Amino acid sequence: MSGSLVVFYAFAIMAVVSALFTVTRRNPVVAAVWLVASFFAVAVCYVLLSASFIAVLQVLVYAGAMMVLFVFVIMVLDVSETGEATHRRPTRVRQLGYYGAVVVGVGLLFWVLSGTLARQFLTPGADLRNQPEFGSADAVGRVLFGQYLFAFEAISMLLLAAVIGAVVVARSRRDREREAKDEGMDEATREAAGLDPQETPAAPGLIGPTPAHDYGAPSAGGHEGGV
Amino acid sequence: MLSITHFLALSGALFLIGVCGVLMRRNVLIVLMSIELMLNGANMSLIAFSRLWGNHDGQIMAMFTIAVAAAEAAVGLAIVVSIFRSRAGTDIDDLGLLRD
Repeated sequence: MSGSLVVFYAFAIMAVVSALFTVTRRNPVVAAVWLVASFFAVAVCYVLLSASFIAVLQVLVYAGAMMVLFVFVIMVLDVSETGEATHRRPTRVRQLGYYGAVVVGVGLLFWVLSGTLARQFLTPGADLRNQPEFGSADAVGRVLFGQYLFAFEAISMLLLAAVIGAVVVARSRRDREREAKDEGMDEATREAAGLDPQETPAAPGLIGPTPAHDYGAPSAGGHEGGV
Repeated sequence: MLSITHFLALSGALFLIGVCGVLMRRNVLIVLMSIELMLNGANMSLIAFSRLWGNHDGQIMAMFTIAVAAAEAAVGLAIVVSIFRSRAGTDIDDLGLLRD
């Protein structure tokens, strides 16, 4: 057994076991920690595939940034409420159906994979002895900023759009209403944007005086009907 | 001898575990993590084929997948926060807002 095979088996088993723990743990924080372990093990496998730059990227982006995001959101959401949901458990028959479907699907996939992979892809791969730089930041960067430059720019636009979308989605409705009012958006526009404050039902058990009908300062056109 | 089969099997296993997580868990955070696992499995096979053919295209695709996964996680978690704020729950079966 060669050295790389030992390393592969050790980290492949670690990746699979961590992934299994990720999807079976009840507490999302614990699941996130197992997911980090899985990402690290996968990064080691990338190194074995002589993709050292992608391995570094995997650790930086997945195990670093994305996990911080996950854990931060779990913290914001108050972990005691993000645990197991107790209501509406599937019935026994339906549960049996779930597990049966998964077992049949996994079995079919392994049957197909073991048949095709064992016959076709036993070649050890391309000979890399004449390109020792394969997978380094230099080599990947030359391809990325040459052949794939347009795709790279497109992905930066996608990330920008995602950042803006995340900020817009995560803001609360009250923030959006207040900001719409502050910016002097008129009532019709607010209503078209789904921000009409009069349609918002008051939260039950609201402490303090019930907000009266507040139409704000009269606009230049004056009130149209109403109180 | 370490061959591409090993890596493809690992990739399939990660993807399958992710699929099982998406189908069987009801906590929306863990469903998102399972999606990340599936993307990792796809990345693994991209990089394995990149190594098999000895060119960098697969690695570039894997990099783009990582970027898209980051964007997806950001937007997905923002939606989770927004839903949690208005309905106070992370059970995925309760979320039929667009269906009902």
